[in-house]
Amino acid sequence: MRDDGRPDHIEDALIRIHSRQWFTWIDSKNKIYTNLRLTEKVGVNGNLVDNTVTELPTESAVNAKLKELQDAWDAANGG
Amino acid sequence: MALSKIDISKAGVTGTLPVANGGTALTSGFVNGITQAQIWRVTANFTGDAQPIASNLEAVDTNSPGAVGSAMTESSGIFTFPSTGIWLITANGEFYYDGDSRYNQMIIEVTTNNASYSEAAKNSAGIAHSESTHTYSSASCQHLLDVTDTANVKVRFTVSVSNNSTTTGGESTYNRTHFTFVRIGDT
Repeated sequence: MRDDGRPDHIEDALIRIHSRQWFTWIDSKNKIYTNLRLTEKVGVNGNLVDNTVTELPTESAVNAKLKELQDAWDAANGG
Repeated sequence: MALSKIDISKAGVTGTLPVANGGTALTSGFVNGITQAQIWRVTANFTGDAQPIASNLEAVDTNSPGAVGSAMTESSGIFTFPSTGIWLITANGEFYYDGDSRYNQMIIEVTTNNASYSEAAKNSAGIAHSESTHTYSSASCQHLLDVTDTANVKVRFTVSVSNNSTTTGGESTYNRTHFTFVRIGDT
């Protein structure tokens, strides 16, 4: 995300697709789609439980979500 | 007239002055500075709660000397101390959202039996949306933990937010939501 709040990275989209810590990166310093993975467990009410998200969104779905967020931001902030 | 120098040999003073005061030896109660410290951080953003934060954690490895002394270890969000002692733990949470979120909490939870956790420190910050994009807030809290047994005394961190769309900030190149561990004395 840019400093002004405009979404500019696929992680900005991922956090709007599902909540909680449902995804991770195999290389956190290279956050590209091919490095995206599901977490096995998430913390819920003090316990580690199985991640209810069992399938990664496709790359095109992630990109489409990012585009949707960018369009919404541009509409609200004059692009 | 100000006193600028004392000749210990003529003043009837016994013992030795600590090195830090210009003497030649440590006194028995003198702690020789900070010997163990480290900062960890959340490396990826997430929305909603994390009770506890269980993934996307790393020891700070950019623009930093890394750990001072032995490092903390972490597994599934549970932190193990490298040695016994009194540890100062600081948790800083960064939150943002483009709406309102009444509370966004950073919580330090501790266990003394490596099983059941209780809240040791908690701080809340609200977000009242301003302007037309994301509004930020942060919450931080501290705790002094007496780590008498590294196998059983452990710590973890929890984020609880009132609006499930609130994001907790994480990044792997600089510190956003992060946790500091400093050993400040013996148990």
